[in-house]
Amino acid sequence: MNELIPLMVIIPITCALLLNLFHGYSKPVKYLSFVVALILPIIPFLANYGLHFFGGHVPLIDNSLLLNQLPSNISSSIISNFHPGIVYSFNSLSKIFIFFFGIVTFLAIFSYISQNKKVSGAYLFLIFMGVAAIVALILTDDIFNMYIFFEISALTQVGIILASKIKNNYEVALKYLFLGSIGGPMMLMGIGFLLGLVGSVNIADIMLAINSGFVDPLSPLFLLSFGLIFFGWLYSVGLPPFHVIKASVYSKALPSASAIIQGFSVMTFIAIGLIIIRIFSVVKFVNAFIIFFSLAGMILSLVLALSSNDFRKTIGFLAVGEIGYIGLGFGIGTPLSITAGLFQGLNELIISALLFIGFGTILYFVKTSKLSKLGGLISYHPKIALFVLIGGLAMAGVPPLNGFQSKLALVQSALSAGYPELAVIMILLSIITFTVFVNVFHRIYLKPKPLDLEVKPDVVIPRSTVFSILILLIICIILGIIPNIVTTPLFNYVGALI
Amino acid sequence: MIDVQLGALITSGAFIIIGLYAAIFLDNIIKKIIGISFIEEGANLFLIALAYKNGGVVPIFLPGFDANWFAQNSAYPLPHALVLTSIVIGASTLAVMLAITMVIYKKKGSLSATKVLGDSNE
Amino acid sequence: MIEYIIMFIAVLGCILTIVQRDLLKAAILSGITGICVTILFQILLAPDVALTQAIVGSAIVPVFLALAAYKTQRMEDDD
Repeated sequence: MNELIPLMVIIPITCALLLNLFHGYSKPVKYLSFVVALILPIIPFLANYGLHFFGGHVPLIDNSLLLNQLPSNISSSIISNFHPGIVYSFNSLSKIFIFFFGIVTFLAIFSYISQNKKVSGAYLFLIFMGVAAIVALILTDDIFNMYIFFEISALTQVGIILASKIKNNYEVALKYLFLGSIGGPMMLMGIGFLLGLVGSVNIADIMLAINSGFVDPLSPLFLLSFGLIFFGWLYSVGLPPFHVIKASVYSKALPSASAIIQGFSVMTFIAIGLIIIRIFSVVKFVNAFIIFFSLAGMILSLVLALSSNDFRKTIGFLAVGEIGYIGLGFGIGTPLSITAGLFQGLNELIISALLFIGFGTILYFVKTSKLSKLGGLISYHPKIALFVLIGGLAMAGVPPLNGFQSKLALVQSALSAGYPELAVIMILLSIITFTVFVNVFHRIYLKPKPLDLEVKPDVVIPRSTVFSILILLIICIILGIIPNIVTTPLFNYVGALI
Repeated sequence: MIDVQLGALITSGAFIIIGLYAAIFLDNIIKKIIGISFIEEGANLFLIALAYKNGGVVPIFLPGFDANWFAQNSAYPLPHALVLTSIVIGASTLAVMLAITMVIYKKKGSLSATKVLGDSNE
Repeated sequence: MIEYIIMFIAVLGCILTIVQRDLLKAAILSGITGICVTILFQILLAPDVALTQAIVGSAIVPVFLALAAYKTQRMEDDD
């Protein structure tokens, strides 16, 4: 038993509730949120790997006192291995992802509280609640717990969109919530079918039941539950048919908040995606489904990114498209490719945060976000432009940055798994991504400045924003030069998983 | 004659179909929200119907019960715990949706989804 | 027998709510479904869930809907 594992969820939730109470008092809100945001990335390093049983409910087979009292038809059956309570499992994957997600959270919260004199406790409540939900999604080993935190993260994302004052944010929030409240009950039905088949909502139990022949993996109810859970997953990560609404969500939030929402999507993708792989990968066509939707998401969002005239929207579509690479890694299904997908997810988390915050600096000195009205901004803040360019190169996969390492690993794993066509598609799409990025960069920074563009020349970019961009850039370069510090533990985890 | 469990499952299916119809095809935003609340109710009813045991007892262990008999005759209490959470989530989502609808109505003066939400992607 | 009648009323309440053009009436009609689902929970051996559903489904949700209709507009169509 390790008490620090649930604390990773409990601390942000408690902090969120306290911040809501202190709403209106700027100073305590600032100090509290700063301290907790600083603690978040540290806790994973103090906790030991292992399982945490809530309420001390260990499986019956480990509790000999209780086992002896039960009739033999229960104690000798598969039921005695089931987990009666909620289980959180902490491993090298959760450690790495919670650490990097904690850093992105810290940077977003730090830039929010250092740039605003009056901070809103309610807004920080939403961010911390969302962070707690996402950390719980990564940790949990229980599909009903997953559903609860899936709903909480959807609600907090809606709240974060509402907090920005960008035009039409309410409409996008309502649409996102509509789709979410259709996707949520669908997911609940899927969980209900699994519960009816197995009798437990614990993932380890479901896997045990399938592997021991207790449940037929080809029964129609099992496939139906896959479809319903898959639908909820598509909604929460923004693969088609939800890519348009997800990109709108990114473009309607404040830059630092979009970085965090993108973090939510990537973490949800990995958490629920791994759950889907663990439970359903006995069915062969599941991998084909994941590959199909990932490819569709990448292609559609690249097309829409090319045709969009709002740079926030374009970056949103690029971020949605990049998520498809993780799905390809998951879909190919070998340990190497899943590791590459996870590594790509980690890079995606960092690079997209960098791009959202970096391009967001433009809005400090120009009013519009229309690409056709922008131009020639490189003469105002050339350093930031350079940082953003490096971020874009990392996303497109240029050595020696981290995106190159993960995309190379993805292509290699596709080749070694016998899917050369996927490798070719990945390289092509990566080139198109680079083209789209260079196009946006050119239209914002390099092309001659339009005459009617009003620029406030003496605006200073806040130091905290520059600090955030620099930290993210340093992580990009470190991961690009020594990827082994994360890929080796990830590979060990995936090897134990399959 | 169908038994109670099957009847409840059919009812939950009807809820979900009616709710989906309202949420997708009706134009009024509040009607859409009502449809969504029906979908949620249908999902809850589905889970509770799964837990039902024909001729069983309520899953509360009273003093004097024989443990073996109780284990074989009580309804399954795990879905009940899940539905309790899910009802509360549904109600809070509904409240947030209605609040956003009221703000949008103040700005645009209409409840029609095609008029209000149609061009909001740009 | 009573349970089948209640299931029928629940589905009927759903349909009536959907076709009702007056939003205030629709809100009140959605309470009928809530009450029927409450009784169904009781019949399906879940009295603890029925307690929650009785408050949420038959009081809170209709009141929220009615408040929203009261604050916006009463009829479904704009005119």
